[in-house]
Amino acid sequence: MVGLLVRLRFDLWRHGLRHSPPRIASVVIGGVAALIGWAVLVPTLVLMSTQPLRVTAATVPLFATLTLLWAVLSLVAAGVDQTLDPARFAVLPVPARQLVPGQFAAAFVGIPGIFTLGLALAQVASWATHPVALPGALLGAVLGVATAVLLSRVLTTALARVMTSRRGREIGAIVVSLITLAPMGFNLLIGRGAHLDVRTLDAEPMAVLAGWTPVGWAWALPDDLARGRWAAAGIHAALALLLVAGLWWAWVRLLARVLTSPLVTGGGQRIGPGRLLPRLLGDGPAAAIAIRRIRAWRRDSRLVSIGLRTVILPVVLIAQGLLAGGANPLAPMGAVILAVFSGLTLMNDLAFDGPPWWVHLATGVPGRDDRLGRVIATGVVFGPLTLLTYAVSVGLGLVAHPVAWLTVVVSALLCSMGTAAFVGSYLPGTAPRTGGNPFAAQSGAAAQGCVTALVSFVVPAALLVPIAVPAVLTASSPLRWLVLGIGLVWGLSVLGAAVVLGGRRLDAQGPEMLGLLARAQM
Amino acid sequence: MTLGGTPAPGAEPGAAFECDRLVKSFHGREVVHGLSLSVPRGSMFGLVGPNGAGKTTTLSMATGLLRPDAGTARILGADVWADPSAAKALMGVAPDGMRLFEQLSGRELLEYVGALRRMPRATAAQRTAELLDVLGLAGDSDVVVADYSAGMVKKIALATALIHAPRVLVLDEPFEAVDPVSGQTIRTILRRFVEGGGTVIMSSHVMELVEGLCDRVAVIVDGRVRAAGTLEELRGDKTLHERFLELVGASDAGVGGLTWLDS
Repeated sequence: MVGLLVRLRFDLWRHGLRHSPPRIASVVIGGVAALIGWAVLVPTLVLMSTQPLRVTAATVPLFATLTLLWAVLSLVAAGVDQTLDPARFAVLPVPARQLVPGQFAAAFVGIPGIFTLGLALAQVASWATHPVALPGALLGAVLGVATAVLLSRVLTTALARVMTSRRGREIGAIVVSLITLAPMGFNLLIGRGAHLDVRTLDAEPMAVLAGWTPVGWAWALPDDLARGRWAAAGIHAALALLLVAGLWWAWVRLLARVLTSPLVTGGGQRIGPGRLLPRLLGDGPAAAIAIRRIRAWRRDSRLVSIGLRTVILPVVLIAQGLLAGGANPLAPMGAVILAVFSGLTLMNDLAFDGPPWWVHLATGVPGRDDRLGRVIATGVVFGPLTLLTYAVSVGLGLVAHPVAWLTVVVSALLCSMGTAAFVGSYLPGTAPRTGGNPFAAQSGAAAQGCVTALVSFVVPAALLVPIAVPAVLTASSPLRWLVLGIGLVWGLSVLGAAVVLGGRRLDAQGPEMLGLLARAQM
Repeated sequence: MTLGGTPAPGAEPGAAFECDRLVKSFHGREVVHGLSLSVPRGSMFGLVGPNGAGKTTTLSMATGLLRPDAGTARILGADVWADPSAAKALMGVAPDGMRLFEQLSGRELLEYVGALRRMPRATAAQRTAELLDVLGLAGDSDVVVADYSAGMVKKIALATALIHAPRVLVLDEPFEAVDPVSGQTIRTILRRFVEGGGTVIMSSHVMELVEGLCDRVAVIVDGRVRAAGTLEELRGDKTLHERFLELVGASDAGVGGLTWLDS
């Protein structure tokens, strides 16, 4: 069964590649990134063996963080590969117990899995000068990598099930934000007062702290052994084994539930009539599209997870600005980044619609109305959020020149929405399947993501320059208000042009867009 | 590709629906070979053919969802590809196997389509309520379409095609997965639509259904029209089923194996 599943995973992956240049590009980019990562990290880890024990001990907090990152990234960034979606095995007479080993092995047949395995083996080499620690390093590597993979699978499977209901989506949202903030808290905790200088670095206190967290139990083994802490080593080994066994058991239980009840939207979901939005936005196609997209931000667990990904980084930046104290550029930059990210969520809006977009095409909705409706929805969802974030930063005294920064924030939101509305009418992007696992990895998304990310950061940045430069120059003069007005007009013009030009593109190439959308959901 | 105003050769003036020499290739393989078809106003027209004959491809090209490589399609004289908004305003479309916006409730979906069609909100709401009632979906009007059964999805899709009172209805497999009671409801709706001056073009591979409902039929095989005309012309003294098998050239040979299926 293990060999069968690994082979199936590989075959599906190969067939997927053959029909999709973006996926090939994704694999190439991912592979190159992994090789670069290895080129830097593997020699560093090997060289650690020549260093005193206080330096070598740094592997413990490093790999504990890596384990935690597996869980976090699978939730908020990379997603989990769904090539072997367990729900597809529901009709076969295979119990979950037999499926888990194969699913587990298949999880390694991918760039992240192989990359992590390589690093874990290099970690063994870090302890080469302490023969007594070597068995611990090896056992730690095996248990640690297993913990990372199992943790990411268990978390995403469990949350995907929870998030099928509206209440569950809210709980899921809170859990995901807490988990996302975990590495930051983790590093604040174990990295207190550390300064990275090999001559004086003493990683031992960090190693001890990290070693007593669940993600560090396995990685602490070699350090314990090298220092002759036999009891601690025994406890760590026992705890790490128990954790892997517990996660394994949890995954079997979760898979058994998936096999008997594939992921469905909470049964019989009833929806009361909404009256506020129609009254606010009025009639017509653009308003109808806007209302549908605004409601989706609450109803669609895929968008809930996107929303979280959008908000996390700016919140982290503002939190750091707050920690740094006083007026500094971190907090307003957080608001600018939030503005840019928010606008860019528009980019793959069509992919989230997917094949049902035929309704727009068959009813002959003008492309302009399609673009405008989506722009309004993004504006209604993220406009107030961005402004509120900015107002809070100003209220906390973190912003030195509130008007100048406001100009930049507002123009950034408008320009990035414009860029996304225009680019999205050419490249619909990708999205997880409707009703599917919101944490599913978007195969091929990496390459399209790289291209569009390049476009989507360079273009808004270029569009911002004509406003940001005068805003900085007039930051303390009364002219700053005039620049704010100009920024508003400029941003709205960019947005208007994008709606018209993007709309024309959709009018001209509607059927071709529908063809792209048939393959846009993974 | 002709985009001009001359009607297709052999087409009756004022046809409700006409395709002229439609061609479509996928991945270098031509699947529809210069297909022409004309449907007079007020017909209940059945498009039949085996799996993979090109029925869905043809209907997609005629409704503006798939761009033909060559050829034209007209709805009541409006060119689908030269003047799409005029053609799309005249027709209601329900494709087969294409998902709807599943996260909307049935009521929201219909009102949404009404809004996309620029109908006044009150009219859309009133027609939505009537359609849901007639189609037996009133009890599930606030349930999201994702939770509908296959038959319910077919019915709500038909409702989305009807809400703006089109002149021409293009339906791909409208009776698939629909239970007999709902099937009767849909038949009644379609008959009424035609009596009221509308035209229905529907595809199906259930011959008995087409025979009992349609007055005109075309048989498509391998991307070409093999036969077309009134039901009587086409079937002669046989049943449509027999005539269809003849036209397609099917036989019972080839299922002699599979002996391991005997229990």
